[in-house]
Amino acid sequence: MTDVKSYLREWAMPHVLCPGCAHGIVLRSFLTAVDQLQLDQDKIAMVAGIGCSSRLAGYVDFCTLHGTHGRAPAFATGLKLARPDLNVVVVTGDGDALAIGGNHLIHAARRNIDITVLLLNNSIYGMTGGQAAPTTPEGAIASTTPAGNTEPNFDACKLLIGAGASFVARVLAANPMDMTKVMADGLNHPGFSFIEVISDCPEYFGRYNKVGGGAEMLTWMSVRDEGVSGPLSDKRFVNHIPSSAPPPGLATGVLHNELRPVFSGVRKVGRS
Amino acid sequence: MNRNEIRIAGAGGQGVVTAGRILAEAAILSGSHATHSQVYGPQSRGGASRSDVVIATGPIGFPLADDIDLLIVLSAEAYTRYQPELSPDGRLIVDGRCAPASLAGTARQFAVVDTSRAISGSQLVTGVVALGVLQAVADVVEDEALRTAVAARVPAKHRDMNLKALEAGAHLVRETSP
Amino acid sequence: MTETRLPEIPLAQAQLIQGNEACVKGALAAGCRFYGGYPITPSSEIAEHMVRLLPNIGGVFVQMEDEIASLASVVGASLGGMKSMTATSGPGFSLMQEHIGFAAMTEVPCVIVNVMRGGPSTGLPTSPSQGDVMQARWGTHGDHPIIVLAPSSVGEVFHVTVKAFNLAERFRTPVIVLYDEIIGHTRESVVLPATVDVIDREQPHDDPDDFWPMVAPPDGTPPLPAFGDGYRFHVTGLAHDERGFPTNDAQVAEALVARLHRKIEAHLDEIVEVDTYMLDDADIAIFAYGIVGRSAREAVERARDAGIKVGLIRPVTLWPFPAREVAAVASRVDTILVAEMNLGQLIGEVERAVAGNAEVLGYLKADGEPITPTTLLEEILHAEKVRQ
Repeated sequence: MTDVKSYLREWAMPHVLCPGCAHGIVLRSFLTAVDQLQLDQDKIAMVAGIGCSSRLAGYVDFCTLHGTHGRAPAFATGLKLARPDLNVVVVTGDGDALAIGGNHLIHAARRNIDITVLLLNNSIYGMTGGQAAPTTPEGAIASTTPAGNTEPNFDACKLLIGAGASFVARVLAANPMDMTKVMADGLNHPGFSFIEVISDCPEYFGRYNKVGGGAEMLTWMSVRDEGVSGPLSDKRFVNHIPSSAPPPGLATGVLHNELRPVFSGVRKVGRS
Repeated sequence: MNRNEIRIAGAGGQGVVTAGRILAEAAILSGSHATHSQVYGPQSRGGASRSDVVIATGPIGFPLADDIDLLIVLSAEAYTRYQPELSPDGRLIVDGRCAPASLAGTARQFAVVDTSRAISGSQLVTGVVALGVLQAVADVVEDEALRTAVAARVPAKHRDMNLKALEAGAHLVRETSP
Repeated sequence: MTETRLPEIPLAQAQLIQGNEACVKGALAAGCRFYGGYPITPSSEIAEHMVRLLPNIGGVFVQMEDEIASLASVVGASLGGMKSMTATSGPGFSLMQEHIGFAAMTEVPCVIVNVMRGGPSTGLPTSPSQGDVMQARWGTHGDHPIIVLAPSSVGEVFHVTVKAFNLAERFRTPVIVLYDEIIGHTRESVVLPATVDVIDREQPHDDPDDFWPMVAPPDGTPPLPAFGDGYRFHVTGLAHDERGFPTNDAQVAEALVARLHRKIEAHLDEIVEVDTYMLDDADIAIFAYGIVGRSAREAVERARDAGIKVGLIRPVTLWPFPAREVAAVASRVDTILVAEMNLGQLIGEVERAVAGNAEVLGYLKADGEPITPTTLLEEILHAEKVRQ
């Protein structure tokens, strides 16, 4: 197993994440991918927004920018254009990237700028205390949807494919080996790579919706992945399918992969 | 310090803004200080258009026209709109086609637009003909500087036509002068 | 470190250019190599000139999806080591407030040009205004220092833009260049210098393994290496310690905010620039900036012709406010007439600096029309009548 400690700022520990939160597993998978690819540690920049997942940037020993809420893709765009030699990785959450930062995310994808976005989707706002996110399924309880969410949720991967991302994948925090492989592929991809990681939030989502702690939630996502009935099949909020219907499988893996011109800034005006 | 405020007013497509820039650039070539301002926004898309040039022997304070000394009007709408802004002792030049019957006796009339049509087949060089008229009437910049500025600003393929337009404007004044 | 440089695009020639074009020439001469922006009247010419020039000298231009992203891209590029800027007008400036605060807190050098138009809201897009003077100072939340410069002519736009980049690099701070639609759009004859003095951000000399990014004397500015150059460090808008890491420690947070202010306030001599005219024997001083400073100078001359002893104090640096300079004028004149194209923004600062030592009158106007020498002269005549 890869020793990822050389990529961590151990002096910055303990971290702010809650017990049972899968974000640490996700980070480990990412660092393993970095190690496998033998990327130059000095040439990796991690750009984050605001939220639990974004705090990961503080604990990794790269050049790290903990920006403003939702704007990480815009910071990353400027940085990558100024420094094409850097591997620029955005780490963001579902509220950060899909609500307040939705515009920046889709435009970065449209440009096909050569950055990698890791979206850690835990279906809720964790940092601010369990409010509903654009990924919170219909029917789910959050502190701002005490009677159940009445809004439909985004499918982040479909959104990004529509926006023009040239590499789109979905992985589960429950499957660290798959995560590492897909993240390595994303890092290697020339152009905009988007990886949605289904993570968890036992502290708020798990507690409010009575779906158990970290272990149970990881199990749940695996079961959903296989498209079979599982512990959550009786929950009405699963992909807004009524409780009488079985939960659908969650498409995982690399969902879209194409090569198209990579954006590196406006070109010179040719002499006419 | 001598300060001269000149407004070229007309319609979109007459080259009024370019004419103002040329005049200001000619002023610089003549060793003067100059500013140039134009109308932006919805006003600049069709309808009346204008171009203001301030020329002075020293550094210019307020850069916009505040008290217009010389106004040349190239469309009826521009006449209605801008004639009231002329200084009481300012000079007015009006295109022959848009001069109202009530035009004051001190105002001068020249066939600026018709001359442009004769040269270019359109209103395209109206502004440059107007520059020829202005220069012949008021001698605001050096003649050679004006020719140089026209040649430098217009597209190469239209250079000869514009220089001809400039000369034709001056000719309009000379042939009517006593 | 200040260095005299020959700009890659030669400057020395008399030319007729707009304020917005002079801004671009100044920025490039100062070493700007990144522009991220979003179109808005009356600033768009800055982007249109940038996109034609930057790629030819190794720079990068990007049109972002909005003004929030524009300034974010500028901060990102600046951290990558490129001198960076954006330009906008009122509505876009409102959106940029978030990252003006971020740049102030993280001490990332950047230049923001705001070509002011009539407000509030979308207001008067092609009319001049000075309505964003307080927003430039206080628009973003929290206690933060800021430098705001207000040129009054096309030629001064060039010099002020160079100075803005130099101050941004010297003090690791956002610097705002504030002018109005008239200065942005009017073409004026200018003669630009052959060379300009340029300051680059200080670089660390520590071993990368021992580097703490936010270590500086109490009134100092820490060095800033570029991302990717061997120093690995954290940048956050959260209150942070000398290692750049978030903290909730009240003492650490207090020391940070205090240093952010002191690094500016302890160096006013390098920052504050005030132009004065005919003040020596003046009974009345006009306080005016930007385009109104031009009208005021002419009005002063006309009033002098009429025998009125009037002079002009014209701050080029609006923030930090030149309180010391205004107080010195107040001790010598009877009246200070503040003329600004808003309904009273800097006049409050003038009153505070004057502290009762002179009478402060206002000529305040926010109708989208400029304050002209003629109308200002009437105000001077009125002020003289009041004085007697």
